[in-house]
Amino acid sequence: MTTWQNNRAARDVRIAAGAGLARGKVVEARDATRLLEAVIRPGDRVCLEGDNQKQADLLSQALLAVDLSRVNDLHMVQSGVVLPEHLDLFDRGVAKRLDYAYSGPQSARIARMLFGGKIELGAVHTYLELFARYFIDLTPQVALIAAVSADREGNLYTGPNTEDTPTVVEATAFKDGIVIAQVNEIAETVPRVDIPSDRVHFIVKSDKPFFVEPLFTRDPAAITEGQILTAMLAIKGIYAPYGVQRLNHGIGFSTAAIELLLPTYGERLGLKGKIATHFALNPHPALIPAIESGWVRQIHSFGSEVGMDEYIRARSDVYFTGPDGSLRSNRAFCQTAGLYACDMFIGSTLQIDLQGNSSTVTTSRIAGFGGAPNMGADARGRRHPSEPWLKAGAEAAPDGAALLRRGRKLVVQIGETFGDKNVPLFVEKLDAIELAEKLNLELAPIMIYGDDVTHIVTEEGVANLLLCRTAREREQAIRGVAGYTDVGRRRDHGMVARLRERGVIRRPEDLGINPLDADRSLLAARSIKDLVRWSGGLYAPPSKFRNW
Amino acid sequence: MTAPLKDITPAERARSTSFYEASARTRLELLLDAGSFVEFIGPEQREVSPHLKIFDLPEQFDDGIVVGHGRLDGAQVFVAAQEGRFMGGAFGEVHGAKLTGLLRAARQIGSIPVLILFDTGGVRLQEANAGELAIAEIMRAVMEARSSGVKVIGLIGGRSGCYGGGGLIAGCCSALAVSEPGRIAVSGPEVIETNRGVEEFDSRDRALVWRTMGGKHRRLLGAADVFAADNVQDFREAALELLGLVGPLGLERLKAEQERLADRLRRYGACEDAVDIWTAEGIVHAETVPELPADQFIALADRIGRTSRDAR
Repeated sequence: MTTWQNNRAARDVRIAAGAGLARGKVVEARDATRLLEAVIRPGDRVCLEGDNQKQADLLSQALLAVDLSRVNDLHMVQSGVVLPEHLDLFDRGVAKRLDYAYSGPQSARIARMLFGGKIELGAVHTYLELFARYFIDLTPQVALIAAVSADREGNLYTGPNTEDTPTVVEATAFKDGIVIAQVNEIAETVPRVDIPSDRVHFIVKSDKPFFVEPLFTRDPAAITEGQILTAMLAIKGIYAPYGVQRLNHGIGFSTAAIELLLPTYGERLGLKGKIATHFALNPHPALIPAIESGWVRQIHSFGSEVGMDEYIRARSDVYFTGPDGSLRSNRAFCQTAGLYACDMFIGSTLQIDLQGNSSTVTTSRIAGFGGAPNMGADARGRRHPSEPWLKAGAEAAPDGAALLRRGRKLVVQIGETFGDKNVPLFVEKLDAIELAEKLNLELAPIMIYGDDVTHIVTEEGVANLLLCRTAREREQAIRGVAGYTDVGRRRDHGMVARLRERGVIRRPEDLGINPLDADRSLLAARSIKDLVRWSGGLYAPPSKFRNW
Repeated sequence: MTAPLKDITPAERARSTSFYEASARTRLELLLDAGSFVEFIGPEQREVSPHLKIFDLPEQFDDGIVVGHGRLDGAQVFVAAQEGRFMGGAFGEVHGAKLTGLLRAARQIGSIPVLILFDTGGVRLQEANAGELAIAEIMRAVMEARSSGVKVIGLIGGRSGCYGGGGLIAGCCSALAVSEPGRIAVSGPEVIETNRGVEEFDSRDRALVWRTMGGKHRRLLGAADVFAADNVQDFREAALELLGLVGPLGLERLKAEQERLADRLRRYGACEDAVDIWTAEGIVHAETVPELPADQFIALADRIGRTSRDAR
């Protein structure tokens, strides 16, 4: 006779095996490894909550310490490979296979381990793509998650950094999986219920709060005049003519410069209320002056940012907050919002090739994708019109019938022609291709595909790729803003001049911008301390960003 | 479009220019009476470091220090300004020789004070011997100039702070002015952490770095006599104030300085943290000192902070 509830029965056996270590659902931290040995089976798919920011660090250490005869060859499915322990699991043989999205701080080591064959790689995903696979073919059998607090029943409060937790728990708990949460404290009642207790099987109280990295704080003191110039070009050359109101910003210094120019330069251009009103964005401290000046109406966030809690709480008109007053973030929803409801993505990258493909991979570092590919891609399922979307679509295909014409999301790459350590931004061949060849990958890790990129902004000007009609025009438009890099110096000067006449390339002077005006005095805040002042003392920057 | 700068008076420009962010040349231009600065051994003479090319490192035509003379409220002054953005303002052979020469000229003339705008991490490692010698020569030249009646004032508020040999030279000056982002010490945070361990000093805890070495602490301890807000005009006013305060150097003054330092060690030698010192000094809610805006801090420092005016 066919049985149809094998997975449920198996889950109940696992819960029973763990229950011996628990009082109710609560397991002591010192028993965490024994709990994992009791509920995890060799070869299981395990999601060890490594998000972009928050980390289930106690559970990752506990997993690293398991008896290899009981737990081995795990298939890790997690968005962030961030802590050293995440990779130690593979060195030790606890885990074998990996599907992930982002590996920022571990990018060099993960590259070495992939070359060394220590990790069997499934794929490097974008966030939404990995989340989607949680529900189709990468459903976790066990999820090890992090929350701020739990009550005795197991209701969880995730605090401002909710991030991936609801998505991970949804996929695991409703498909006969086990959910184990590490919490900073066990309370009588939680401030709000982010995860209902019937989806949580075990709770481990951690001695110290889970680790959160401040990833989105850019010190205004480090913004250069070159970045200010690119920011001015973007505001006057793209935000203004398209009337971009709904958008996502990357985390680089050029976009931080844009945020800090809105209340000064943007105000002078009379753009307040006309651009940059609705964001899918983490709570960037650099946006505080624009918020305080009344530019920003609404922000939905993927995660939170260290030090912003009190500011967010006090500005609930702008941010999404729970009944307790603190931020509610959600990476899956915010990624969806960025993909479908934003008209522009603007961000920096490390390398751009002649087709406009971009990548943050170098041959020795694999940082993964994270969120940029979905932010920086046209959503083919989009059907609602908006002015910037329709205008971009019309520029790309002026001859098509208006009622049948797809709009286009504005996807803008911004940067100086020579980046950090004077490394050129523009290259003939991406390092990502070399890496794919070396690792025998079927796909090169491209952050944003050239056919999605609509504009490139450098200190030399703005290239509008929507207006290019041939591959050669596109290549020359890119060379035409590539400055003195090898790519820029190999431009066809005649063709670049013609592209400029057509407005495909616009120089600072074409936009009425004097590069000598790009001065740090234009920044609404020039230091972290200025941001604290703008926030009325509500922003509490982490110590590593202070100079007082 | 951006408003043109031409309608702004020099004082307004100096007031709106961050000393911390400005280059050495901008600091001098705005600190001194407009148009009065005359440079000695300017970049056109290309007196570059003879050592850096051995290491394939870029040179700078002024070797990271600008020296010359100008007027401050009409009165002649000698000035030296380190460029913290060139090799962290570090002392090399030429860099040091320019400052030594300026101080010796001041000693010979005897009546013209010297302003040193420090912005340095200490000795340039690539020319360590020459740099160490330069520090010793400069310290001697400062003391000799002061013995001849020259006032030597240090102004500290740049990105690189005033570290290593720069901290030693600052200790020899007649008086110092410092701003909040300015830092004064000998061993830098990373050096202490490397030698004594992260438990002794966590160099990445920047709040700790600033409350141990930063301008507010140095002012409250009396190492610096005047606290300036972070703009060039405030430093100009601080320099003028200090020039009016400084007395002549003699044996009695050196003895008083020795006693001041010994007393400081007796009082605070056992304190674990700057906040303990501030609390012992009678500051209520000492932990809020780092958050105080400049005007409130100056009021507090004038009330409670120590000075070295009778010593030094």
